[in-house]
Amino acid sequence: MPDHPPGAPAPATDLSLSWSVSPHARRLLTLAVAALAIAIGTGRPEFAGLAAPAVLLLAAGRRARPAQVQVTAGLTASRLVEGERAAVTLAVRGADGYSVHLVLRPAFAIVPLPGPGGQRPGHAAGRDAALPFTVRRWGRRRTGSAEIIVRDRWRLAEGRAVYGLPGLDCYPRPAVQQTRVVLSRLPQRLGEHTARAAGEGAEFGGVREYVPGDRQRSINWPATTRRGRLQVNTFQAERSQDVIILVDAAWDEGEPGDTVVDRALRGAAGAARAYLAARDRVGFISYRSQARWLVPGLGQRHYYRIAEAMLAVERDRSYDPGFARLPRAALPPGALILVFSPLADPRLVETLRDLRQRGFAVLIVDVQAGDPWLGRGRTARLAHRLWRMEHQAIRFSLRELGVPVVQWDGQQSLDLPLAPFARRALVTRR
Amino acid sequence: MIAGQPPGQAGRDGWRASWRAGWRVWWRHSTARLVLTAALLGAACLVWAATPPGSAGPAGPALVTLGACCLAGSAARLALAGVPRPDTAGYPGPLTRLAAWALDLLRRLPWAEAALLAVLALEALHPARPWHTALLGVALTGYLFAVHLAESSSGRGESAALLRGQAPVLAAGLGLLVLAAGSALLPGAGTGPAGAGLRAAAAVAALLACALAAPV
Repeated sequence: MPDHPPGAPAPATDLSLSWSVSPHARRLLTLAVAALAIAIGTGRPEFAGLAAPAVLLLAAGRRARPAQVQVTAGLTASRLVEGERAAVTLAVRGADGYSVHLVLRPAFAIVPLPGPGGQRPGHAAGRDAALPFTVRRWGRRRTGSAEIIVRDRWRLAEGRAVYGLPGLDCYPRPAVQQTRVVLSRLPQRLGEHTARAAGEGAEFGGVREYVPGDRQRSINWPATTRRGRLQVNTFQAERSQDVIILVDAAWDEGEPGDTVVDRALRGAAGAARAYLAARDRVGFISYRSQARWLVPGLGQRHYYRIAEAMLAVERDRSYDPGFARLPRAALPPGALILVFSPLADPRLVETLRDLRQRGFAVLIVDVQAGDPWLGRGRTARLAHRLWRMEHQAIRFSLRELGVPVVQWDGQQSLDLPLAPFARRALVTRR
Repeated sequence: MIAGQPPGQAGRDGWRASWRAGWRVWWRHSTARLVLTAALLGAACLVWAATPPGSAGPAGPALVTLGACCLAGSAARLALAGVPRPDTAGYPGPLTRLAAWALDLLRRLPWAEAALLAVLALEALHPARPWHTALLGVALTGYLFAVHLAESSSGRGESAALLRGQAPVLAAGLGLLVLAAGSALLPGAGTGPAGAGLRAAAAVAALLACALAAPV
């Protein structure tokens, strides 16, 4: 399968055409042969005449056909977000005098879109064409293949060739998050969050009496006039924080495209984007069978590192039943731990308890929307009740430890469930 | 608003005009009219081959039924050409699987070819009637082209361009059809040495057609 970096000029590939009779020619042949057979069998010359137009068309439409064509293909983007639009670009050479039709045979989760001018989804005509598509679900995806159909001038013969298209990376669509949860105690690092401590930020903190060494420009003249002594304004410090986003992918359930893991990754992508935009250092831990982590970092490039780490979740198939503690290296001291989990894996619940006992501020976003599918009937109803009770017990025990749990359905903005914690600083206590 | 026109009349007229214009644009650019033409031509061929009723023998009704089913299948295939196959990846429901199976069946079976055979067989069962058969030949050729254009044409003007190049060949073929129908009216046509010659020529033509249609 041809694979080259996006943007680079793709090399042309020679493809052999497999020629066959077109459906139109097949119908003409059926008419001709059937009419001539009747003419022979019954001795009626009018049936031979009935076959004449078809035989003449088949005879006159015949010409030399090219054995192969040169195809250059590529993708307009090899990395995109769920639901984003991209296109397969195809250029076919070596079929002059023939009409070229291109058909996209999409792989799983690739959805062809209608092209310009009312073009049917996944179909395009012409030697240079673009076949737009979108990706329905995140992951490392195969795009599929493009079928090249070369037809002669009267469309009596069709030459077909299949071109394997390069794969692409589709990142989870980030959930909408405008607000941020900020810890009450922030590390001594310059950032954008207003800290409790006084400092050199832009947020007004209060007024105090002037002491030698204070800057003249910070003198508050109205307060000075009222009190009769020099008063200066004080400001609050601005700090950044460390945020660790933990995605629990140990248990999956739901319709493809809206499973628990899909929601968890979309929420995590939205949170990572929101905190990175506020110049916070964001780390990522994926938890499937064992924890894989990415140390906290800053900036847009780090967002793509996190997105790549999210794609690796799909490939992780191993299982470690003894796992119960996240490594110290993945957790900077005083970090906010934001967990996206359905709270179904007891190992993770134990891990979260351990984190809380180690003094981390943990906030859990429960991505289990509704009950899981457990079947129908009395046994299933009983299983549902047991599941609900166990789920409620887990949430209760976590709340008792001081770990807030909020529910998120994956559709609405993350700001709504996080609103009670985004309005004021999240107090961290041991 | 025009004086004397009730209020709201102008709005209704404007809506009607825009609806008509939209309908006209859709009609010009869609393949619906080609599908309709193909269906009507196919039905006309079947009716033409079946008339007069009762003279095609006991197999006549069965052939008419078969031809009608095949024509309906052909029209449905053309009408549903743009419908994407339901996604059966994962675990689809029984309705999705049934829809995918029905669509596959509709697209895989040679409906138009079967309809052609039924119509020709129906015509052959009737007593010799050369001009009737010649007209059927013209209509069948038209039906084949309507089906071809409906399944391969994608825009306005493409059908005309496709037919323009084939017009002389089609005209020559239709001329031969008229000659054949005329010769069939001659006394003794199809019998004796002339009939043997005709049979030999028809056999050669059938072989030639097969050879010409073969790819490369």
